[in-house]
Amino acid sequence: MRRFLFVVFSLLFIFTCNKDEVDQIEVNIPIGITVPEGMVYIPDGDFIMGHSDYPDTEKGKVINMEAFLIDRFEVTRGQFSIFNPDYSFHPQKARFPVSMVTFEQAQGYCKWNGRRLPTEAEWEKSARGPDGRKWPWKIYHEHPNNGFSGFLPEAVDSREEWVSPYGVYGMGHNVWEWVSDWYISDKTPKADSKRYKVIRGGLTQTHTAIKFTPTYFRNKMEPTAHFNFIGFRCACSVDCR
Amino acid sequence: MKILGQKLNRRFFLSLFSLSALSTFFSKKAFGVSDYRRDKNIPKQYVQNRDRPGFFIRSANPFMGVDVNGWSLSVRGMVKNPITFEYEDLFGLKKTSQISRLKCVECWSATAQWEGFRFQEVIDRVQPDINAKYVYFQSADSYYESYTLKELVRPRVLMVLRMNDKPLSKDHGFPLRLIAPFKYGYKNIKYITSIEFADSRKRNYWSNHGPYSVDGTIQPGTDHPLDFKKKPLSINGGEVFHPFDKRPL
Repeated sequence: MRRFLFVVFSLLFIFTCNKDEVDQIEVNIPIGITVPEGMVYIPDGDFIMGHSDYPDTEKGKVINMEAFLIDRFEVTRGQFSIFNPDYSFHPQKARFPVSMVTFEQAQGYCKWNGRRLPTEAEWEKSARGPDGRKWPWKIYHEHPNNGFSGFLPEAVDSREEWVSPYGVYGMGHNVWEWVSDWYISDKTPKADSKRYKVIRGGLTQTHTAIKFTPTYFRNKMEPTAHFNFIGFRCACSVDCR
Repeated sequence: MKILGQKLNRRFFLSLFSLSALSTFFSKKAFGVSDYRRDKNIPKQYVQNRDRPGFFIRSANPFMGVDVNGWSLSVRGMVKNPITFEYEDLFGLKKTSQISRLKCVECWSATAQWEGFRFQEVIDRVQPDINAKYVYFQSADSYYESYTLKELVRPRVLMVLRMNDKPLSKDHGFPLRLIAPFKYGYKNIKYITSIEFADSRKRNYWSNHGPYSVDGTIQPGTDHPLDFKKKPLSINGGEVFHPFDKRPL
């Protein structure tokens, strides 16, 4: 009997200690607000933006924001092809993030859908919640594809273990994402203040070492650029449909 | 039973076995094929990996280089007008030049002035089929590379004949190479001998021989430019421009 109980409790312990699960913030959606399918409600309040070790960020400043809605997943190739029928993709990769889109095309898709691109602050709050965490999923992981050089996108809903504390997917891996802000830092010359858009939340690579990027990491890109590593998601105010 | 006039008996199989066993005693050189890919004793005059100051040389298949008298560029596949260009013919195409950085997947990068012609010059002459969305390059050193047609008509992609105001050197791909500045160096094929238009994608050399993707787009990460003493600098992805590089207008 003792042995039986030992086995039962051991199994129970193993199943309840799933280290890949990300603790989710319990969010109360106010009465009268309907969250459209595929979007996540991000509540109002303070969050920590940037990190003091990264001078081109907000350096850990506390930012107060209104509530908003953001796409749970990156926009997929299948979704984008409804907006732009000329966009072709392999049928088995319909759930992969759309890429090779310019800033304008990304903005056009969101507008067509009654939405807009998220601001940089909205994106960062959705990725890290209010506790200032470095990784959306809080605990550091090695990227599993180390040893390969090149970009390997995945289906937008494939990594439940890498969600943000609000349940938003793909915020530290998969494609980088266009956000609405121009890239400006303390070192940006005035002439370049409207030259680059910010992209967020992808991977970096040096030879065959692939790394996740922290929630506060900023990258920049000319808005006309279109690469296999850049996609996007949309956001809107709480009253959008 | 006979094959090629030979009886398939015990004598035939014994002679076949002995012939194949004997062949292992001869080097490939004896048959006129030089393959130094796994050999450390590459003849000095061969193009091979060399860490030359300013611009490293990388060669997947060491070889003697191209004798231009025996070289031509064949453009074929799904095209209306297949063409073979001699070296001199290429100088009749509309020329353009640019300064761009070649970023090796191994981390280093280096800049040069490149002069040549846009891929559109080739397209205009051969008139590809509407379904020919892929292009496959082959080189004189048995290397091969694969692109989408869309990638090759990007503004900064160049078919290169000259480097730093001189004809391409043997080390850098004489007589013709490709420069696609938003792709890792291994995509920038040297010693091009043929260009084939196709309706499906083929793999490239390094996806078959190493851990590198067919696509080869430069990813955000870190670069170690040779013109900055190999100190690490972060890069955004796509064509690499460091703070000291002049961006095109």
